[in-house]
Amino acid sequence: MTMASARTGVAPASRTETELALEGLWRVVVLNDPVNLMSYVVLVFRKVLGFDEPTARRHMLEVHEQGRSVVWIGVREKAEAYVFTLQQWHLTVRLEPDEKN
Amino acid sequence: MKRIEVKLSLPVVAPLLDLIKAAVGDLGGRLAAPQHLQDLDEELRTAWQADLLGGQNDDCRRFLALFDREFFASGTVGFDEANAESVLRACAAIRLRLRERELKNLPDEVIEGAGADVTQLGAAAAKAFMCYVFLATLQELIIQHLDSAILDG
Repeated sequence: MTMASARTGVAPASRTETELALEGLWRVVVLNDPVNLMSYVVLVFRKVLGFDEPTARRHMLEVHEQGRSVVWIGVREKAEAYVFTLQQWHLTVRLEPDEKN
Repeated sequence: MKRIEVKLSLPVVAPLLDLIKAAVGDLGGRLAAPQHLQDLDEELRTAWQADLLGGQNDDCRRFLALFDREFFASGTVGFDEANAESVLRACAAIRLRLRERELKNLPDEVIEGAGADVTQLGAAAAKAFMCYVFLATLQELIIQHLDSAILDG
């Protein structure tokens, strides 16, 4: 990813605000789409997130049946990396603050 | 290196390629899937989307390269660990674009089940739906035979 170069270019005046926004935990949320195959989504979850087959299948079914699944929670930078990689595979993904933290 | 070769029916697949190429052309300047990047600052969002678009275009180029002179001579396309991921992603991107552009009037449940009755569709939508199903078939073949190579790659 070349995101790091963009981030280092943030102006000093906005850095404090940016750093505050980066604090806390963030959720990677996958949203349902009617196009991508179930087997494809399972493979992507295994490939990108390192899930085993049953975990990948459980999250895929959650996406399919409930419209969304939280597939990862953690620090912002790593959450962004997961969102980016899942988007490379054309899944519909959101980055959300984890309000419990 | 594990490799699978798939013999396709030229009379069936060749007429679909124009529509697939049109969808790829349409994707040249836009991302296939919806983006939810409002939490990113503008500079990062711009770089992010440019990177995604570059990858999407590269995947689509590699996918279209399957349909070369050899394909038109023999009807055969080959997949291995070197191209499997790109082809899978390109098929996903093109299917998303076809759904958005040519198949937008079909309900989600029909699209999800790939169960449209093509005799009830207009000619353009029927052809788009055949492309949509063809691309899904390629994805299923790759996932069935090359999933280990993809996961280990």
